[in-house]
Amino acid sequence: MKKILIVDDEQDIVESLKFVLESADYICYCAYNGEDGLKLAKEIMPDLIILDVMMPKINGYKISRLLKYDNKYKNIPIFMITARSQEGDKLIGEETGANEYITKPFDLSEVVEKVKQYLEA
Amino acid sequence: MGNILFISDRLEKIQQYSDIFNKKPYNFTAISDENAVLEAAELNSPDVIIFDYKFNNLKKIIKNLKSINDSTAFVLLTQNGEIEQNITKYINSFLTEDLSENLILSTINVNLKTKQSLEQLSATNKNLADSLYRLNVLYSTSSQFAGSLDKEKLVNYMIDGMDKSLSFDLTCTLAFCTDTEPVLLLNSLYELSDELISAIKLRAALNYKSLFEDKTPPFEIDIEKLKVVKTVKYPANRFTFNLFRYDNMFAPISLGDNFFGCIEIFKETPFTSDDATCFQTIAQQVSLPLKSATLYQEIMETNSKLEKLERLKSEFISIVSHELRTPLTAIKNSLDILSSGKCGEINDSGSKFMSMAQRNVQRLSGIINDLLDLSKIEAGKMDYHFTNMNIHSVIEYVRFALSGVAKEKGLNLIAEETANLPEIYADSQRLEQVLTNLVSNAIKFTPEGKNIMIRSHLARAEQLNAPECFKEIVKKLDGEYIVVCVEDQGIGIAEKDLLRAFDKFAQIENSLSRKVGGSGLGLPIAKQLLEAHNGAIWCDSEINKGSRFYFAIPVSKIPAEKILVSN
Repeated sequence: MKKILIVDDEQDIVESLKFVLESADYICYCAYNGEDGLKLAKEIMPDLIILDVMMPKINGYKISRLLKYDNKYKNIPIFMITARSQEGDKLIGEETGANEYITKPFDLSEVVEKVKQYLEA
Repeated sequence: MGNILFISDRLEKIQQYSDIFNKKPYNFTAISDENAVLEAAELNSPDVIIFDYKFNNLKKIIKNLKSINDSTAFVLLTQNGEIEQNITKYINSFLTEDLSENLILSTINVNLKTKQSLEQLSATNKNLADSLYRLNVLYSTSSQFAGSLDKEKLVNYMIDGMDKSLSFDLTCTLAFCTDTEPVLLLNSLYELSDELISAIKLRAALNYKSLFEDKTPPFEIDIEKLKVVKTVKYPANRFTFNLFRYDNMFAPISLGDNFFGCIEIFKETPFTSDDATCFQTIAQQVSLPLKSATLYQEIMETNSKLEKLERLKSEFISIVSHELRTPLTAIKNSLDILSSGKCGEINDSGSKFMSMAQRNVQRLSGIINDLLDLSKIEAGKMDYHFTNMNIHSVIEYVRFALSGVAKEKGLNLIAEETANLPEIYADSQRLEQVLTNLVSNAIKFTPEGKNIMIRSHLARAEQLNAPECFKEIVKKLDGEYIVVCVEDQGIGIAEKDLLRAFDKFAQIENSLSRKVGGSGLGLPIAKQLLEAHNGAIWCDSEINKGSRFYFAIPVSKIPAEKILVSN
């Protein structure tokens, strides 16, 4: 089974993502701040990471860059969650390393669909 | 009345002329020594000099005297009217040896009279020149006043103008308008000692208080802390306390209830009444621009406060909207999970309320998006992706997206396609947003069984026809436009409310519009988006018959191949 890491300081958002992704037969690991998220990512080598942009200490943007510049982790797909719709386009691409962005409020079923596209291709 | 110098070495002539002129109103001096001539001419400053033709070196003496006493009348006593040619030009009149006393008197009197008139004329001339200079100074000072809204500069222009027109020794200007605290400006010819400055400070403060008699002065001054700005023209010299014996003038600088300061000016020689007028004029003249400058400053301050508030408001809306999105996401996700049935079946009435909650989450996120859009537009941060495009793709997109909603309400959503419309240069996503908004509104306000039409056509700006309240907006358009019209058969809008429909948060007082809800921001956003396209939006309506909303986008002037190149 594929492993997905969810990093967001908003527990309720993590909870709901975890629920639908587990229902879709993925194993979910959760972290509630950037530091733990980065540590966990290196520990478990997930198949995909869902990252909130706005987090205290290390934000999602930094984590994404740290992982994407490391040969060991650079192939892990990263989804960014943002509340700022206008940021969306800037989050994808070489600079941040993110593969997809999701704008709040998002559709859970769409997130599951996107995850499937990356993990079951 | 007349100084007469007689230059001759013939005693009998000296005697003769002395007999004639040695009485009032004349003052007669005779010189017979060639070497004493120059000295006497300088000492006596004669009005008339009479030269004896027999005198030695006469030509040279006349020339020398002319160079130092240009205004003196020269009279030459000749034998019988004969004179050397090259002296003629220096001589005003001639006398002959055998002339009678009366004729001599009258000749000299004429010369004295002429001399006097000339002196008067030149004095008048000088006065005129002085007045003219002063007028020039006043003029240039007042144009300086008119050209500035800087209070410090205005006060300096005033002092400068007074210096030029009155050439004072010292001015003490107590200014309350150039800084946050009062300032004493000292413009002095010579250096001032610290003791003298203390005395001047005290005097300025007393003068100031005397202006208000028993009333409270508008500003408090603390003599100890009073700031002094000193400008000295010749610092090598010093003023003494004698300064206070100089002539002085004092004036307040104020306009109505506005008090800007006061000025005292010192001069060693007495001031004339003209000086006083000039002083008062300049002091009065500066108060009007000072008043304007004060008002200008207030306006600028209010403006920057307003700008700051406006920015804060935009930031506030943006932050709040973002903050709202996170809890909204959690609610939406929970509802989605519950309604998916993964947490167990929900009965009919439960799912009714579930979908009510979901619908309202949808609505809330729509409002948040509108708020964000508007704050982005107002902050100039909205991104546009302009391309050459056909309006039909937009119309078709919106018709397809909303036909389901229309059908649910029992409405027919019809789009009439016009063939061969030229392309427009626009952001298709933004136009979809505008049209979606217009059609959603139409759906909201139209009762069951009626039609909603979307039409498009090509028109020149001058062919566009809009109700009176939109005339100004439509008048700004120029050239060819694609006009899209959304027509409904709904409740309509009263004519007086048409313009207000495009105001922020201005949902028109109407129970039905309240019932259908919405942020009230859709039309203001549409208006701003169209302005970004150099287009316009307007509407006309009839109560209970329906409304027509129009928007116009300029026909693209950029050929398609050019856009390909630039991309």
